[in-house]
Amino acid sequence: MPILEFKNVSKVYNNITKALTDISFSVYEGEFVSIIGPSGSGKSTILRCINRLVDVTQGSIIFDGHDINKADKKEIRQVRKKAGMIFQHYNLVDRLSVIENVLHGRLGYKSVMSGVIGHYTEEEKEKAFQILAMLGLTEQAYKRCDELSGGQKQRVGIARSLMQEPRLILCDEPIASLDPSSSKIIMDHLSDINETMKITCIANLHQVDVALKYAKRIIGITAGQIVYDGPPEKLTRSKIYEIYQSDEGELITDVK
Amino acid sequence: MSELDIAGQPPVSLDIVKYMRKTRGGKIKTATKSKSNRAIKITLFVLLALTIYGFLTFDYKNVDIAKAMAGTWNNVKVLFGQPKLTYGTWGGSLKALFVTFSLGALATIFGAIIAFFGSLLCAKNIANPYVANITKSFVAFIRAVPTILWVLIFTVAAGLGSVAAVIGLTFHSAGYLIKAYAESIEEMDEGTIEALKASGASFWQIVFQAILPSSISRMTAWTFLRFEINFTNALAVGAAAGVGGIGFDLYMAGNHYFDLRELGYITYIVVAAVILLEMIATKIKATVR
Ligand SMILES: Nc1ncnc2c1ncn2[C@@H]1O[C@H](COP(=O)(O)OP(=O)(O)OP(=O)(O)O)[C@@H](O)[C@H]1O
Ligand SMILES: [Mg+2]
Repeated sequence: MPILEFKNVSKVYNNITKALTDISFSVYEGEFVSIIGPSGSGKSTILRCINRLVDVTQGSIIFDGHDINKADKKEIRQVRKKAGMIFQHYNLVDRLSVIENVLHGRLGYKSVMSGVIGHYTEEEKEKAFQILAMLGLTEQAYKRCDELSGGQKQRVGIARSLMQEPRLILCDEPIASLDPSSSKIIMDHLSDINETMKITCIANLHQVDVALKYAKRIIGITAGQIVYDGPPEKLTRSKIYEIYQSDEGELITDVK
Repeated sequence: MSELDIAGQPPVSLDIVKYMRKTRGGKIKTATKSKSNRAIKITLFVLLALTIYGFLTFDYKNVDIAKAMAGTWNNVKVLFGQPKLTYGTWGGSLKALFVTFSLGALATIFGAIIAFFGSLLCAKNIANPYVANITKSFVAFIRAVPTILWVLIFTVAAGLGSVAAVIGLTFHSAGYLIKAYAESIEEMDEGTIEALKASGASFWQIVFQAILPSSISRMTAWTFLRFEINFTNALAVGAAAGVGGIGFDLYMAGNHYFDLRELGYITYIVVAAVILLEMIATKIKATVR
C-alpha cells in the first residue's frame, strides 16, 4: 500500500490561479522522490497540500491511511506530526536555542499546556541530543539560532523534523539558499536518513543535477501538470527541456 | 579619479533623454512626483498659513512684550534657581512620587496583558481578517479618545479616585499597545509560524513558542515607551481625578499656594524620577535583545 496517494488533485488559488491540474501519483514507503519543474509550476503547492497548509480544490490525498481533506482539526495535527517539513529559509525561531528549536518537533505530541510553557521530558531532550549528534551539531546545542550559518540552520531544520518521528519528510527547496558544499552535506544527510531510517522523502529541487544524483524517482511538473514520472536514468535531455519549456542550450544547469 | 569623467563618453542619446524629467530650470529631476510628496507640501503650507493667521489675529490685550518677557524670566529663575519645600516634606514628596509611579506601572501592566491577547486578534499574519479589521477599528476608537477623557468617563462609573484613574489609563494603554504589539507580530517571519504549524503544533503552542520569543524585544520596547507616557499621564490625572500623587502636589503648589519655589522643587523631583526610569528601561531593553 502506498504511504501517500494523490488522486486527481487540482488546486486553484483565489478562484483564478490554477496551480495544479489533475495530479495523480503514489509514493511508496522508503522512496526518495524529487519534484522538479520551473518556478511557479506548482512544486510547493504539492508539498503544502500534503500537510494541509493549503486545501486542495478537487480530488483527494491519502496519507498514512487518512483522507487528508476530510480530516478535522485534531486529525490534521495527527497527520502533520507524521510529516516533517524542511524549508528553503529554514524557518527556525531565531531567538531560541538550537535545542529548543529541535524540541519544537515534539509540539504535535504534547498537551497544549506543556507545549506552551516549553516543558519537555528528559527522554525527549536526550533524543534531541542524539539527533544533533547524528547531524554533527552537538557543539551548537545551546547557541542561539541566529548565530548559525545557513548550512547549520538547515541541519537544525532537519533535526526538528526528525524529532517528529515522521514517516515522510517534505523538503521545499532545502538547498536553494546554500553554497555547494553545504548543499552536499544537507543532501547527504537527507539521503542517509532515507536509507538508514527508512523515512520517505519528497524534495522539491531547482538543481536538476542534484535531483538526478540523489533521487530514486523524479516527478517533473510543468504548469501544474505531471509531464514526467519515472527513474532518473530514463529522464532524457529533451524531456528536461520539455519540463522547463525551454530550448536546448538555454538552461544554466545543462546536463551531459 | 575623484571627479566624474563625462568628457570621454559619447553624448547622452536621445532615447534616454526621453525618460528624464526636467525642472523648470532645465535640470534633471530626481524625486518622483508622488501623492505623499504633495501631501507633505500641502500640510506644511497649511500649518504655515495657520501660524501667520494666529499671530495676526491674536488678542494681545495690550501686554507689554518686554515687561512680560522679563517677568517670565524672573519666574523661571525663581522656579529653577531657588527650589524649596514650604508646604510639603521630602518624605511626603517621595511617597507621592511612588503613588504616581504605581498608577503608571499598574496601568501599563494591565494594559500590556490585555494588549498581548488583543494583538493576537489583530495581527494580519495570524488573525482572521474580519476579526482583525473589527478589532483594529475598535482599538482605533479607543486611541482616538484622549487618556484624560477616559479617566473622566470612568470616574462617572467608579467615582473620583485611583480606581477610575487606573481603569482609564489602562484602557488607553491597551488600545495603544494592541496596535504596537500587533505590528511587532506582523514584522516576524511568517515561515516560522508555518513551520510549527506544519509540525502539528496548536495555536497556543505557536503563540508561546514562536510568536512571543520572536517579538518580545520589540514588545518590551513599546511597553517601556508606554510606561513613560503613563507616568506623565498619571501625573496629570493625579490632579484632575483627585487621585493624589506627585501630580496633585504639583497642582496644589501651582494653583493653590502659588508657590513657585515649591513648584520648582517638585519639578526637579519629577525630572530626576523620569531620568532614572529611562536609565532602568534602557538597561532592561539591552538585556532583552
Ligand atoms: N498563497 C497563494 N495565493 C495565490 N496564489 C498562489 C499562492 N501560492 C502559490 N500561488 C500560485 O500558484 C502557482 C504555483 O505556485 P508554487 O509556489 O506551488 O510554485 P513552485 O513550483 O513552488 O515555484 P518556485 O519554484 O518558484 O517555488 C503560482 O502561479 C503561484 O503564483
Ligand atoms: Mg516553491
